[in-house]
Amino acid sequence: MKKMFSLALVSVVMLTTLAACGGNNAGNETNNAAKTNNTATNAADNKTDNGGTEEGSKITGDVIFLTNRTDMIDKQYVDYEKRFEEKYPGVDLKFEAVTDYDKTLKIRIASGEFPDVVFTPTIPNAELPNYFAPLDDIQLSGDIHFKDLKSHEGKMYGISSGGSTVGIVYNKKAFEKAGITAVPKTYDEFLAASQKLKDAGIVPLASNFKDKWPLDVWVYDIPSLIGGASDHQNKRAETDTPYTLDNAYGKSWGIVRELHQKGFLEQDVNSTNWEQSKKDVASGKFGMYLLGNWVINQVIENGAASEDIGFFPFPADNSGEAKAPLNPDFFYAVNKSGNVEAAKAFVQWMIEESGYDDFAGFIPTLKAKEPKLPQLAEFNSFSPKFFEPAAPVDAATQIQNKAQLDQAATVQEFVLSKDPQKVLDKVNAAWAKAKKDLGL
Amino acid sequence: MFSRLPFNTQKKFVIFGFVSLPLLLLLTFSYYPALELIRLSFTSWDGLSPNKEWIGWSNYKEVFANPAIFGVFKHNFAYFVVGIVQNIAAIYFAVVLNSKLKGKNFFRLLLFLPYILNGVAVAYLFGYVFDTTNGSLNYLLGQLGFDALSQTSWLGNESFVNYTLASIGFWRFMGFNMVIYLAALQSIPSDIYEAASIDGANGWEKFIHITLPNIYKIIELNLFLTVTGALEVFDLPFVLTKGGPAGASETFVMKIIETAFQFNNYGLASAMSVVLLLFVVIVLSIQRFLLNKKGD
Repeated sequence: MKKMFSLALVSVVMLTTLAACGGNNAGNETNNAAKTNNTATNAADNKTDNGGTEEGSKITGDVIFLTNRTDMIDKQYVDYEKRFEEKYPGVDLKFEAVTDYDKTLKIRIASGEFPDVVFTPTIPNAELPNYFAPLDDIQLSGDIHFKDLKSHEGKMYGISSGGSTVGIVYNKKAFEKAGITAVPKTYDEFLAASQKLKDAGIVPLASNFKDKWPLDVWVYDIPSLIGGASDHQNKRAETDTPYTLDNAYGKSWGIVRELHQKGFLEQDVNSTNWEQSKKDVASGKFGMYLLGNWVINQVIENGAASEDIGFFPFPADNSGEAKAPLNPDFFYAVNKSGNVEAAKAFVQWMIEESGYDDFAGFIPTLKAKEPKLPQLAEFNSFSPKFFEPAAPVDAATQIQNKAQLDQAATVQEFVLSKDPQKVLDKVNAAWAKAKKDLGL
Repeated sequence: MFSRLPFNTQKKFVIFGFVSLPLLLLLTFSYYPALELIRLSFTSWDGLSPNKEWIGWSNYKEVFANPAIFGVFKHNFAYFVVGIVQNIAAIYFAVVLNSKLKGKNFFRLLLFLPYILNGVAVAYLFGYVFDTTNGSLNYLLGQLGFDALSQTSWLGNESFVNYTLASIGFWRFMGFNMVIYLAALQSIPSDIYEAASIDGANGWEKFIHITLPNIYKIIELNLFLTVTGALEVFDLPFVLTKGGPAGASETFVMKIIETAFQFNNYGLASAMSVVLLLFVVIVLSIQRFLLNKKGD
């Protein structure tokens, strides 16, 4: 009896401590739908291009922007608020910064109340109209990138805050020291350059293998360059064997594997340190990164002179043709039950006037606007062919979630395994099973 | 007003007031979420949508049928093994530091301090210790002349990465176990030891026949903490290895978090949590059964 009691007690204690993951009731998202239609049409009337206070004064109320840039609070955002409120005196703009953005936002959306301007969470595009207002009536001064990525049934629900591309960020001093005179234009030249760096005692490519996320380029970007098409992630939904040695994934992952085996990555790829690697690229102890252009500013912050850091397209094959992906950063979205009109004005202002894209080192969303970063100008001098991502197809994401497939972890396994074919077989089997279970 | 009521009614009010408030808090923040967790484990909720579709037992079937989910439990085995060693070491230090020893309070403090440190801070700290190229451990090994050992990839070797991680747990929790043992040792009346000495018992015999039986309940408690700790490890691998290399150090709780927040499958993740709960209860029942066999 005593035993039974203590067992019961133990289970109660366990239940209490483990019960942290509760649920939220998602209730009142839909009841504000009607309200949105009115405000949307109003906003369209208000937009004229001259943008003086006359127009601004019609827009009133509070706007809260939920941002991921905790570092800009009390700094750049103070200036943003001043400038925005000068143009729209009726609006009270507030910033709220959170870390772990996606999870936090999803929980807040599920609770039914969330700020007026947010970045789109990772949800299927078909669900966007449930929470966000269409943004087609914002009259931007020119054509924009990534128009179709966050749209559903012809309406656009997200405008990108900027774009970035992926290529080789390199330390020019390190290249000089290794005796590399011209940046490699083909894959073979790239391997030769890496060998020279290695011979000079420099780690050729900082992969940051352990941290997983830096491997995303091998999953999303390099396969686009190899296959010459950016919809490879979507195409996976059509087959039972999306990962084979001779398709874009196998080839892309084969490159990392080859670099690893030739000793062109960190000495121990399972013990890499991201923060340290920025300092090492800055000081020339590491030669290159294969990452987005956003890393350039961070390397400069870690002690490199801007003119010592270069940027060129990664030669994924021997064709000699420069290719590069063009990826969107976070997308602004407007809460359809919030202050839609003012929120839209803010989104337009962020894109056109805030200067955030230059501050963040992005490629501007407006196609006509030139990027400010000198390294991007260098990158463009190779006149690469850019691949904009294809609008995501839910089926592939669904299968991937069902199969619990972490592609970056698969790259790790692929590179470390003695038999890469086995790794692919395992992943394909899980993929095929998930696909069948979902009936797709 | 209140004071005019009969004393018995007043008493009832006070009792009711004092009991209902904590009960209410307990129900709202512990039992309601727990029941909700169980309810969610029967749905296919994606964490966002308002409708939670009831899918019966299929989440539970998935947990047990999919080796990728259930198989990670074998990574927790290393934490069990090291946990047992940790308890033995804790008893040893407790006995030593309970005897007459100069500066014993200093040593007690020294051993207990790691427990006070924040888990994530500890993980970062050991990230620098175990780093292959710049780590202090490999540097020390190199200076001592173990050149072959000084290139060891402590966190990158699939066969012992879990033991490396568990050894950090050892460093962190041994002092805590020791303090609990110390408290138990101090409650043993010293006249028993005196009587045993007069009867001619040596130190080892006193330990086996007096100390151990007296701290038996506390050993049980510490093993309980070790076992649950081993099953629920999360912060060390999450910060240090992200489950790598190639998933070799992924633990069950990491898998739950991944399922819920990365793959948006809250239903399955809830089912996994419930399974973990049941698993802890089962392991503890076995442990109690084995430990109590010769007891009462």
